[in-house]
Amino acid sequence: MIKKLTIATLVLATFFTSVGANEDMSQWLRPQTAPQPANNKLTPERIELGKLLYFDTRLSKNDKISCATCHSPSHGWTDEVPAAKAVGFEGRVGPRNSPVVLNSAYQRHQFWDGRAKSLEEQALGPIEADVEMNMPLKELIPKLNKIKGYRELFEKAYPGEGITKDSLAKAIASFERTVVSTESPFDKYAKGDKNAINTKAKKGFELFKGKAHCIDCHDGFNFSDGSFQNIGLNKGELKGKELGRYNVKKRAAWYGVFKTPTLRDVTKSAPYFHDGSVKTLKEATVICSQGGRYQDGVKNKSDVMVDRHLSDDEVDAIVEFMKALTGPDLDIKVPKNFPQ
Amino acid sequence: MKKIALATLLVASLFGADHVINQKGKTFIPHEVTVKVGDTLTFLNSDPFAHNTYTDDEANEFDIGMQASGTKKTVTIKAPGQFSVECAIHPNMLLEVTAK
Repeated sequence: MIKKLTIATLVLATFFTSVGANEDMSQWLRPQTAPQPANNKLTPERIELGKLLYFDTRLSKNDKISCATCHSPSHGWTDEVPAAKAVGFEGRVGPRNSPVVLNSAYQRHQFWDGRAKSLEEQALGPIEADVEMNMPLKELIPKLNKIKGYRELFEKAYPGEGITKDSLAKAIASFERTVVSTESPFDKYAKGDKNAINTKAKKGFELFKGKAHCIDCHDGFNFSDGSFQNIGLNKGELKGKELGRYNVKKRAAWYGVFKTPTLRDVTKSAPYFHDGSVKTLKEATVICSQGGRYQDGVKNKSDVMVDRHLSDDEVDAIVEFMKALTGPDLDIKVPKNFPQ
Repeated sequence: MKKIALATLLVASLFGADHVINQKGKTFIPHEVTVKVGDTLTFLNSDPFAHNTYTDDEANEFDIGMQASGTKKTVTIKAPGQFSVECAIHPNMLLEVTAK
């Protein structure tokens, strides 16, 4: 009798400590389809055209820079430049770390300051930006129209629309909607494979949701709730691009805030934060868990940025957990030949 | 005429209904509400962190500012129309308001 009870207890204990037994893990799994606007539903023709445009350096003023230069599939869909900020047209340094394209399809706002409300709106910004591709659309559209191959592909993808800034934006956005995270060890764990991540990562997951409060911002399957936070990287009065979303509109809550980035594939996307000021995931975790780089003197610092008093082992466990959010590279065949 | 309109709004404010909108789990509960001009919306923050409810609707524009956990803030509906209310911190929070 006692033996049976012991076995039953063991079975129950295993059940309640294994994945999914007492916790709905579905919230952590990526939805199969990304949201698509009614006027730009995904088709194979649109995705293929968008991919060619994304990798085509002819979209820049000097024919040397493509979207992929700063948002490369080889570097977690960002650029991994050693400098803190993105390097664009003729070595010009952009004001911010290149944001990752991965899973941007699921985000309501684009760019670190959220100034674009769709991927279509976002797609044209870097093309024209003088520190990025530096290509005025009034020059680019005629340039693309001279390429027979592009005229044909645009006609197949967007019949009757021609090559315009709208169809260009829609095509690039279509490709970007396919840049989504793959199945990571954590996803396997969330689906019930309790051996998919190690003990340290499991401890990190519990800390992530609990004591460390990472989930206050890095919530949901994308490990970002899309919120805008001032995480205390700078103190005192802010200037220029450091004002973040406040540059979009002078709303008090937007002073010095930036969009919470995804943690999917985060091991591939160093350096970290909007200013690219941090090289390692551990350093980033320490800064966040102690309430920011500066505890005092930060104007409009988010109220979730408080010292969580984590030990070094606890920080390491969270880092181990975040490593488990990295999946295999997306199977994207980078084009070698472009329309002529 | 302007005085009459103001008086009407004042009277409506005095006798309008109050609609409690809870902010919990980074969502507005309910996420849709139908109200009358002069009614009030009371935003309750049940989350353990701040919210900042606002709308840029021209006729009903408001920004209640940073709202700490556990607090309430109330706004009065000033004009008819349909508009969205968001949280400035958590823009995935959306409340659709129909004012009649």
